[in-house]
Amino acid sequence: MSQEFELSYGEIDYTVLGSLRRPSSGYWLLVGALVLGVVAGAICWAYQIAVGIGAGGQNIPVAWGTYLINFVFWVGIAHSGTLISAILHLFRAGWRNPIARAAETMTVFAVSIAGLFPFIHLGRVWLVYYMLPYPNQRNLWPNFQSPLVFDMVAISTYLTVSSLFWYTGLLPDLAVVRDRAEGLRRKIFTVLSLGWTGKHEQWRHYTRGYLFFAALATPLVVSVHSVVSWDFALSVVPGWHSTIFAPYFVAGAIHSGLAMVLTLMIPLRKVFNFERIVTVDVLENVAKTIIFTGLIVGYAYGVEYFLAWYSSNIVEQEAFRWRAMGAYSLEFWIMVVCNSLVPLLFFIKRIRRSIAWLFGISLLVNVGMWYERFVIIIGGVAHGFIPHAWGLYRPSLIEYGIMLGSFSLFFLLFVLFVKHFPSISMTEMKETIQEEAAHAG
Amino acid sequence: MPADKYVLGLFTSEDKTVSAMQAMSEAPWQIERVHSPIPSERILDSLAVKKSRLGYFTLAGGIVGFFAGLALAVFTATRWHLIVWGKPVVAWIPFFIVGFEFTILFSVLANVLGLIMLSDLPDLNWSEHYDPRCSGEHFGILARCPDGRQQELAEFFRTQGGEPRLFEEN
Repeated sequence: MSQEFELSYGEIDYTVLGSLRRPSSGYWLLVGALVLGVVAGAICWAYQIAVGIGAGGQNIPVAWGTYLINFVFWVGIAHSGTLISAILHLFRAGWRNPIARAAETMTVFAVSIAGLFPFIHLGRVWLVYYMLPYPNQRNLWPNFQSPLVFDMVAISTYLTVSSLFWYTGLLPDLAVVRDRAEGLRRKIFTVLSLGWTGKHEQWRHYTRGYLFFAALATPLVVSVHSVVSWDFALSVVPGWHSTIFAPYFVAGAIHSGLAMVLTLMIPLRKVFNFERIVTVDVLENVAKTIIFTGLIVGYAYGVEYFLAWYSSNIVEQEAFRWRAMGAYSLEFWIMVVCNSLVPLLFFIKRIRRSIAWLFGISLLVNVGMWYERFVIIIGGVAHGFIPHAWGLYRPSLIEYGIMLGSFSLFFLLFVLFVKHFPSISMTEMKETIQEEAAHAG
Repeated sequence: MPADKYVLGLFTSEDKTVSAMQAMSEAPWQIERVHSPIPSERILDSLAVKKSRLGYFTLAGGIVGFFAGLALAVFTATRWHLIVWGKPVVAWIPFFIVGFEFTILFSVLANVLGLIMLSDLPDLNWSEHYDPRCSGEHFGILARCPDGRQQELAEFFRTQGGEPRLFEEN
């Protein structure tokens, strides 16, 4: 029996509400540093808008650089939140309860950050409304045969659904905070909790609604990253045009998202003394899932090579030879080692129960997954069909600045959230205790 | 005729709450509502409430969404009337993807709308006959009794292992 079930309702409330106490100066220092990062990113973007999209390093043949890498990276990170909150909810996996809120929060912020990158990549960001299907004076309509338009629909649906799922899940906890707050905070939480009191009529509809949310979010999570993968797979570029891209991208997205959950939860449990709620057992279960997704990702890397060899297509074969031995071979091997080999260390129980190892490996998987997107996106178009059209790409300083800004914004939003809202679902933790007591009894 | 009064019985466990609710069915008191910090199937079963009708909202949203997505894709394609990648102008397979995404989007929007409507949210009178402990460690049974019999009802809650809270207003 894990120690989390020895907790009482009161202890859960006390521990989680304790995280909302007045922040220390160290917290504000961290917020200040992250704000600086966001400002740096904003300045770089403003510079790019002023001088043109050429401020980034993207050019023919590599027209999709870090902006698309980061877009895919953040959409991928967003996927685990829905996996943990929706899919594991349907499977009644109780261990997901302590981390579900943080994972859902991560999802909402990550998909918001992802949504910024197509805007950034547009250059003339004010023309973004061209993508929207509405009657205009030029009679221009988006063409829904394009995977890029599927993507716009899928990502905006995903942002809407994950935000509503997140807020619905928050409602009972917002009421807990409201009932224990004073002054301005009480007023804010009174508005946010919409008058939730946990009466049976509310729970009757809530449990049903939450179940439908989970049931609808599950196919959505699979569809969204499949659609993202079709941005590549529906083209004829060697290395992109592949039927395995959809499951490969979905598995990779969950792999990176789970790693990010560990990266976020490990410092969170330490800073807010959540050790009795987010137990080592919970983190170990995340690690075990990472082994599974890491094996799928490794299998996909292998299958890509098999398909290139088995196809007898010399262009495809050259693309994959170059991927492992060409100009971006370092990035390729970082990808393989970090995503497929390093997670195998979690087969050793001592490692997957060690906080330091868990944190270190989660960082490496994050790095590896970023490079996976680099290898796919850059590697495909840099070394296409025609040798005279080959060309290399390196991100410019402006792109690095925007990337710094995006990471800073993500962590800033997360840090602000965890200090002002319950970062662990008190209601679901209490449910876990209740269910365990019922089973024990 | 004097108006009925309310007494809230606060309990520290689901077991005691359900047991008190069962005892109330043989007593002259009427349960107004039950508060709990967690969703409880046992409480809902004791109250013999029907299954939520929320699913109809979700289903309706999904059906509308699917056809709305498909219709939007067909409409925009027929405005262009261009052959793209050798596909027909009205290409059902790619349009199905748009229909699928709209199905999920509209289902979820209808789900939220249904939840708000059926649960009477936002509830501006939420604090009426409510005890903040009900969102923390306590379960609460709000019961109604004729004026002058509040102490009897409070005593009933005490015998069931609860802590009564009397509300003087109606």
